Amino acid sequence: MSSSVLQFRPEFSQPLIQEVMNRSGQNILACYQCRRCAAGCPVGEETGVTPDRLIRMIIFGEREEVLNNLLVWKCVACYTCGTRCPNNIQTARINETLKQLSKEAHIEPLLPKVSTFHDAFLRSTSHFGRVNELEFIVLYEMQNAKRELKHGGGWKAVAAEMKNQAKLGISMVKKKRMHFRLDKIKRLSEIKRLYKKAKDEAGG
Amino acid sequence: MRLGAETMQIAYYPGCTLHASSGLYDIQCKKVLKQLGLELKEIEDWNCCGATSASKTDDFLAVALPARNLGIADASGLSEMLIPCSSCYNRTLVSQKILSEDSELTNKINTELSKKVQGKIRISSILDILVSKANSGEIAEKSIKKWEGLKPACYYGCLLTRFPRDIQISDNIENPQGMETVCKALGAEPIDWGYKTDCCGASAAINDTDTSLFLMSQIIKDALARGANCFVTTCPMCQMNMDMYQDQVCERYGIQKKLPVFFITELLGIAMGFTPQEMQIDRHFIDSLGLLKELKPI
Repeated sequence: MSSSVLQFRPEFSQPLIQEVMNRSGQNILACYQCRRCAAGCPVGEETGVTPDRLIRMIIFGEREEVLNNLLVWKCVACYTCGTRCPNNIQTARINETLKQLSKEAHIEPLLPKVSTFHDAFLRSTSHFGRVNELEFIVLYEMQNAKRELKHGGGWKAVAAEMKNQAKLGISMVKKKRMHFRLDKIKRLSEIKRLYKKAKDEAGG
Repeated sequence: MRLGAETMQIAYYPGCTLHASSGLYDIQCKKVLKQLGLELKEIEDWNCCGATSASKTDDFLAVALPARNLGIADASGLSEMLIPCSSCYNRTLVSQKILSEDSELTNKINTELSKKVQGKIRISSILDILVSKANSGEIAEKSIKKWEGLKPACYYGCLLTRFPRDIQISDNIENPQGMETVCKALGAEPIDWGYKTDCCGASAAINDTDTSLFLMSQIIKDALARGANCFVTTCPMCQMNMDMYQDQVCERYGIQKKLPVFFITELLGIAMGFTPQEMQIDRHFIDSLGLLKELKPI
């Protein structure tokens, strides 16, 4: 947190606390900062912010810092924090909620590739009802390249990424782990309807 | 449903990975479980469970995508469904749990489905099935070879024992023993170690490679320090990640020795007399046939 002295102002914090609690279903007010979650978090060392710190930030109502937080994007959803929490708070669920909030607020993710990855995965699923690994990776890399060319490292970064992926792709082909057949479900219309409903749910 | 005296049918959800990059696991599951008297009936027209992507980004799809498969399984007339992939297993079980507690959501999803969720099907992981077959003595009975000298680090990963919802499983969450039980039934000597339920970062491998490589480095270092000569896993995400990226991890973190990453079905298959080719072990990235030759399971 950037400010040197934190002030707790309930009326300022309330909206964020309520929104996160309602959407994630997690009772963050039960957190008494025992830090068992911090001890188990596999990415805590890297992010600097552990689940207990994130919960504290939410309780202080620091919306901007909460949504621009590395833990939200680095979280590998291993559920260690939640399993060990004596008060049953599942911070991975909170991170899922915060990703959605930041998307709705049109905040550029701190790790844009993470967001692109999950979007591409769900798009591929919507096309065939099953994930087509090849299509999924192409969707992901195209989106990445577009962003790199616009905001990031330019052609050099794109070329490095492609080289890396091509190397993995070739080793997969060699080991017959690459799959070229198209697996498409028959009642795809049901999946399309579920996607439409998901969109309506998010909008409403 | 019992067919004759020997074979029982159970429903089977392979998931996308077992139909693609981990096709070998699909073949192994069918072959090995057939030896143990189970015929896997793949449910018709199943779809992707949404995996980590849906659960991280879309609360509705995270429940709705597995729900469609649950409805199809409920309509199959079978009472139990095997889901070998830990990710699919976790997401499907969580969806079933949420639906059992939320009739409004169930109705909302069911209106879009031709086969409605009824909440009948019992979901089993591959360990649920194998542990009972180890305890009943069937695994030892069907094994014609012993895995002497194999010291596996039994690697469970995150999603087999930990759930984002309150779901009870039969094994210990922090120090599960199911895989060890199966390995011991095959004559192997599983090691005791500290990273068996730690995350390998498979869902981050492509989008946040540094994190994933770091997580794997810790897992591999501990397994080596404890004297393991291979990993065993039940999760195709873990297998693929730990196998395909192990060269990169070892190079970056100065790890000298590499460890084959076996599916548990491979150890079973070899013990039952299948050849490594029938089990398709040659599709691993880290050489695994070398250890097989060295140990010569007999």
